[in-house]
Amino acid sequence: MENTKERQEEREPHPSGEEPLLPTYSEDGEDLTLIRLMLSLTPIERLRMGQRHANSARRLQNARRRE
Amino acid sequence: MPVEESDFEAILKSLIRHKVDFIVVGGVCAMLHGSSLPTFDIDIVQSRDPDNLKRLENALSELGAYYREHTNKRLIPKAERMTTGGHHLLNTAFGPVDVLGAIANQRDYPALLPHTTEIELEEDVRFRTLDLATLILTKQETGREKDRRMLPILLRIQEEIERR
Repeated sequence: MENTKERQEEREPHPSGEEPLLPTYSEDGEDLTLIRLMLSLTPIERLRMGQRHANSARRLQNARRRE
Repeated sequence: MPVEESDFEAILKSLIRHKVDFIVVGGVCAMLHGSSLPTFDIDIVQSRDPDNLKRLENALSELGAYYREHTNKRLIPKAERMTTGGHHLLNTAFGPVDVLGAIANQRDYPALLPHTTEIELEEDVRFRTLDLATLILTKQETGREKDRRMLPILLRIQEEIERR
């Protein structure tokens, strides 16, 4: 199940119509595009993005509890 | 005190303002190196020098820190309790902070310091975090499930950096 996206990627042409220059997933299923995205930021930009995501996730968890 | 928002920068700035000697480890360290895994707390290893522990106590007091394991009472962290390799799991006005006397294989502040890199938060506002190779090593040594989950991402980050 966890490798579904990898297997789809092997079978089907890339949805953008153009094959990416670099692999999208590593052999163990890690999304390399996310890693490259994070590496394109400075450490402080990564910290701020992580902080926003943590706060966003916490708001979503609280929203679910209120239902 | 329920915490709705984490503010890693506010926590770091308070520690820096109080001139605390510390090293950022754990999930925030991984994030600084490029991990996209979310984390809700900030983990630090403190220097256990007595003067530093007093500065840490002052910073934690400013942050409104208390032990989050004790739900029935508010225990405040004190310098004299932070002299060992133990883990102090705290909550603050700006989110959870774990103060760790030592991490994997009892690596403490003096042992880790040569394996850190400096991060500049703002001009002249700097702190230290583990370098990527040491972060990977500590995650391999710890062997906990949550650490093993982080390992593939850290290893791919290392490969991606080497590839560039």
